[in-house]
Amino acid sequence: MKKLTLSSAALVLSLLLSFASFNLQADEKPVPPIDEKLVKLSIVDPVRDSGYTVGDLITRVVTLEIKKPYKLLDTSLPIVGYEKRYQGQVIGIELRDIKKSAEDNSDSKVHTLHLTYQIFDRNVVAKPAALPPEFIRIQGGNEVYSFRIPSWNFRISPIAVFGEVKLESDMSPLRGPMLKTSERENLIFKLALAVLALSALGLLYILGMRAWLPRMGGPFARACRDLKKLSKLPANDETLKLALTRVHQAFNLSSGSSVFSNNVDDLLAQKPVFAGMRDDIAHFFELSRMAFFEQHQAAQTAAEQLAWLQKFSRRCRDCERGLRPEKQA
Amino acid sequence: MSDRQLADWRQHALKLEAEINKVVIGQQDPVRLITTAIFARGHVLLEGDVGVGKTTLLRAFTRGIGGGYQRIEGTIDLMPNDLVYHTYLGEDGKPHVSPGPLLMSGENLSVFFFNEINRARPQVHSLLLRVMAERTLTAFNKEHHFPHMLVFADRNQVEKEETFDIPSAARDRFMMEIPIVVPSEPNIREELMFNPKFHDVDALVGTVEADILQFDQLNAFARIIQNSIDASPTLRSYALDLWTATKSPELFGVKVSGVEMSRLIISGASPRGVGMLLSAARVNAWLNNREAVVPEDIHAVFHETIAHRLVFSPVYEMRRTEIARELLSGIISSVSAP
Repeated sequence: MKKLTLSSAALVLSLLLSFASFNLQADEKPVPPIDEKLVKLSIVDPVRDSGYTVGDLITRVVTLEIKKPYKLLDTSLPIVGYEKRYQGQVIGIELRDIKKSAEDNSDSKVHTLHLTYQIFDRNVVAKPAALPPEFIRIQGGNEVYSFRIPSWNFRISPIAVFGEVKLESDMSPLRGPMLKTSERENLIFKLALAVLALSALGLLYILGMRAWLPRMGGPFARACRDLKKLSKLPANDETLKLALTRVHQAFNLSSGSSVFSNNVDDLLAQKPVFAGMRDDIAHFFELSRMAFFEQHQAAQTAAEQLAWLQKFSRRCRDCERGLRPEKQA
Repeated sequence: MSDRQLADWRQHALKLEAEINKVVIGQQDPVRLITTAIFARGHVLLEGDVGVGKTTLLRAFTRGIGGGYQRIEGTIDLMPNDLVYHTYLGEDGKPHVSPGPLLMSGENLSVFFFNEINRARPQVHSLLLRVMAERTLTAFNKEHHFPHMLVFADRNQVEKEETFDIPSAARDRFMMEIPIVVPSEPNIREELMFNPKFHDVDALVGTVEADILQFDQLNAFARIIQNSIDASPTLRSYALDLWTATKSPELFGVKVSGVEMSRLIISGASPRGVGMLLSAARVNAWLNNREAVVPEDIHAVFHETIAHRLVFSPVYEMRRTEIARELLSGIISSVSAP
């Protein structure tokens, strides 16, 4: 009797289950697609469609603008971690993350979905792959409609050219794991920066008339330095002529043309900074005339004249730099 | 002895200048240049517009120098023999031959003034070439000498009709070509316009003290100047650089606007030309009471002694005056000494 009761119960249960199963099958009737006019779709796919390999993340930005009163059913959004399949086979692409935001307009609602997929597939040669289509549902009144987000084709590529890397021959236990490091790139970057800085300094030096500071390398500044060097030579007529020639060169360079005693006024008009040196300049040309052309014995000795020339060139240098020169040379 | 001579003659020269500057006002630079040419024994070519005082200037100088003065007008039908003699029928009805302007003063010819030289034919230029270079002339089976003669010529570059360009060989015989321009100072212009003294040229020239210099001693004294005034090695080097620059200005970075420098010069200054440049520079040094030539002495006579000697490419000849001025100024600016 007890056995009969148990089998009866099993029969009833099986009948109930069969009924429930029938009801469930009746619920999964095909959902009609929504009218395309009601949903506006735009997708931003990755720029690159090849070169992806195992571990890479691919993000698509899907924007859906759904007319009111239709609304997106959040429960129909793809599920994170779900392994995508194609014809029942796992395709090695998994939804890793989904971010959703929405913006309410007067007659529509804009949903922005950031869908990030991760690739768990690889191949020794490039092979075609696709981010699968996603099906979402939209409710309008009592009706539910489906909407398809299209797939996106790309290529899965190998990490290295096939046959180029033989791991078997590069598996020494003495070598540590290969780490991805940017030390070399950093070093090259720093060296390049240093070269760039040096080049910029060099350019500045050349553009600044070969002077490190403004007006540092003017004709009289250089003449002044050269006269200092000449002071180490014996003080005789030859040294005096060298010194005079050097100051003449400075005058010519400063004026841009040859300066003689008969065009000193032109020089002073062109370079008024030397106006205060008129008497000294006249004395310089007199000295030069005696040394080079008249060859008279001057009242001063060569040493005294050289000392005067040094002071004179220093005063000219000060004028050239826009400074007030020392007192009379 | 020569030092005292130099000082004495300098006084005479400065007095001559002062006398000339009294009758020809506003022309101090040309007066100084002509004085320089007289003491350097060089012939002078004056260039300027009509009526600017070229003839007055030369007549005044002639009076100051002393000696014979002859003048001839350049015309298209002037022939070389017109300079040497002229023929006429005398009162006795017989043909006679008289000496022409070149021979009339004999050896005492001091100034031969050739007015409007560019109106004369090349045959006349040719005769003049010899007279200027050698100061001799063969005529009537005899060689005539003019040891004290200076040729002063003038030309008017504005008019081109019925004129003959003076060949470069003839130009080179002239020590200087001096431009005479109308003075720009208003007071001088007013004086020239309203003072009747300047309207009667004969009376004006007559006010110049006669025979300030002894024309027959000028040659000897010119030699003393040339031997007394030094030219140092630096000056020589500078003058040589200037000479090179007249031939190849591009070597010294000289530029003239709108001119391709490598094609500009066909012929630079001649050795005779640079010799005359240094002679004139020595005289300038002496006139400035110096015992040696300095670059400024060369500058004082550079344009006037060199410009007319340069031979430019034909394409640039039309702009000769303007280009020569810019070129020579560029050379002075670019060549340094020392």
